[in-house]
Amino acid sequence: MPDDDLVRELRELGAHLVTAPAPDLRAAVRERISARSRPVLLSRRWLAAAAVLLVAALIAIVPPTRTAVAEAATAVLRFAGIELDSGPADETLPATPSPLPGVRSTSLDQARRLARFRIAVPARLGEPETVEVADPDATGAPRVVTLLYRNGTIRLDEFDGRFEPYFAKRIAAAGVVFTSVGDEMAAWVPAPHPVSYIDRDGVRREQTARLAGSTLIWQTPGGAYRLEGIATVEEATAIASSTG
Amino acid sequence: MHLHPVDTARRTGVPGNPLAGGGVYRVGGGALDDAEAVALAQRGDLDAYEHLVGKYTAAAHRAAALLGAGDDADDVVQEAFVKAYRKLRLCRTGDTFRPWLLAIVANETRNLHRSRRRRDALVLKASARAGEPVTGPDEPAAAALAAERRQQLTAALGTLDDLHRDVLICRYLLDLSEQETADALGCSRGTVKSRTFRALGRLRTRLDAGRREEVDRA
Repeated sequence: MPDDDLVRELRELGAHLVTAPAPDLRAAVRERISARSRPVLLSRRWLAAAAVLLVAALIAIVPPTRTAVAEAATAVLRFAGIELDSGPADETLPATPSPLPGVRSTSLDQARRLARFRIAVPARLGEPETVEVADPDATGAPRVVTLLYRNGTIRLDEFDGRFEPYFAKRIAAAGVVFTSVGDEMAAWVPAPHPVSYIDRDGVRREQTARLAGSTLIWQTPGGAYRLEGIATVEEATAIASSTG
Repeated sequence: MHLHPVDTARRTGVPGNPLAGGGVYRVGGGALDDAEAVALAQRGDLDAYEHLVGKYTAAAHRAAALLGAGDDADDVVQEAFVKAYRKLRLCRTGDTFRPWLLAIVANETRNLHRSRRRRDALVLKASARAGEPVTGPDEPAAAALAAERRQQLTAALGTLDDLHRDVLICRYLLDLSEQETADALGCSRGTVKSRTFRALGRLRTRLDAGRREEVDRA
């Protein structure tokens, strides 16, 4: 059966997943089953739990940093046109980062006419306040289109994403959590992290490096997306899911 | 930073080891087997039930965690044990207690997802375990490859819908049989079989797609 290897890998994967140590529940259970008349109150620590999980996720993805294994495990994961570099963020960021090359404001309609990939607008955010096109080719087709909301605090970068990298993120400190948008895989970087632009020649433009806020990255058959400035993964995926 | 800053005092016991906490012994020596413990507990013997709680907390906790309960796993498992006790008369014979309990845990975990409208993703451990041997100069690269592969596998599992992900988690990560998985997920054994087949196919497709993208970009 061709899936035997996959089954073996799945069986093996269990040992590498984070599960908290089991508590001793004997006393708590005994108290509840021997005192049935008492009202049953379950502790609800969901907010705290979410925070703890986030921290766990941050730690979980960071590769070891001391040993030789660490060097080799500094993997670059390419996803939806974005390089997620788990190496340590040793570079210093420019004090005044450059904008994307050749960036200019335009209208949504104009951006749609110019771009070679589909421009998607999340219904949950509505019409963008500003639309920017960046890094045009010889025919004027932009390589990246950015929709900005709430005075630029929410930023949705759109690009083709299928064949080459567009952005590099150093996620050693922030971590990444895999989730989904609809039926598609998505990556959530839950904390501030350096991001820089990778140009057409595959060169990382260090002068564009800046500190990005929490970001959701996902890809559809029509394009790839990077949504920055939403605080929670739930809200970010809700916005992403509303993208038509 | 601590992964689990909550209530460490509660974690001082030794779950999973029924003998550590003054477990129940039958006359003539030897620990209770499940069938005896269930039979006694069905007649209201709290010591016998406590023996089962101690023995199966670790398995139940791990099941809840892998099915997405995250840090609510403690609550889920406690609730599952209380509910299991209340309907223990429905547990027919002792040797089915573990899968029967895991079915209740799985159901409680699904209730939790409904109430908070999300499930926690599977999270990979930080690094290769200390126990994994590093023997030669090639090992770090192999370890890195294996780590990357596990990352891809975890990510791909995360893209499956709940039904297909749960069946793979029950069958292979929790190592339940087809029948036990059917009990845990509340469906027929035939459904488990076909759903497992479909889920493996989808997982394979997602992994291959991921690999193709890497090749395209290389």
